[in-house]
Amino acid sequence: MLILTRRPGESLHLGDNIKITVLSVQGKQIKIGLEVPGDMTVYREEVYLRVKEQNRLALETSDADLLAATQLWQGKTKK
Amino acid sequence: MARQNEKIVQTRLGKQVVSMDKIIYFPRGLMGFEDKHEFTLLQLKEGSPFLVLQSLDDPRLGLLVADPYSFLEDYPIRVSEAEQKLLRLENIRQVAVLVTVSIPKGEPEKTALNLTGPILINHKARLGLQVPQVDGKFPNQVYLHMPQE
Repeated sequence: MLILTRRPGESLHLGDNIKITVLSVQGKQIKIGLEVPGDMTVYREEVYLRVKEQNRLALETSDADLLAATQLWQGKTKK
Repeated sequence: MARQNEKIVQTRLGKQVVSMDKIIYFPRGLMGFEDKHEFTLLQLKEGSPFLVLQSLDDPRLGLLVADPYSFLEDYPIRVSEAEQKLLRLENIRQVAVLVTVSIPKGEPEKTALNLTGPILINHKARLGLQVPQVDGKFPNQVYLHMPQE
């Protein structure tokens, strides 16, 4: 991992079109400003990990439970 | 039946014939499965709110999904400009929303909707994208057995 030290107001450029600026440091919190291309998505890691875990859970459904759930919830929907 | 318009794929529901216009391309894959790009939606049962989002490349990769609005009155989702671009959305109404569903082993009554990573599908362009929600206004999961009144 590349490690660099920055002060508030200082920036980093990643390649040609990504700019990361340290805006402020308050205690344990660092405020970061990101300038990224319009088609680049930025996600917090914990959110990304949670979605990944939920995807894994949605996969682990056994076929028997899947059928049972289908039957349980059939007709219980609002439509 | 033009054969070139269909593809036979192995799915977790057995062998299925998938018509080419039912293939949804996920440019980013799904989170944790970034290398899988082609999916289709399989209906489990007529009238069931549940579907399987099935990878065309991996029979084991079939996620249980549902239309959240069949169960929830309110589930506002936020789609960033970058995400709208990836989905080639001209209008937010073009998009269909699905959420993944988890069922703990042997406990179908604990079926839960996962609300953190809705899957958006642009029907017209047949493009799909998982769009994490960071707002925290709604819980990560809701159990379907809870009264929704």
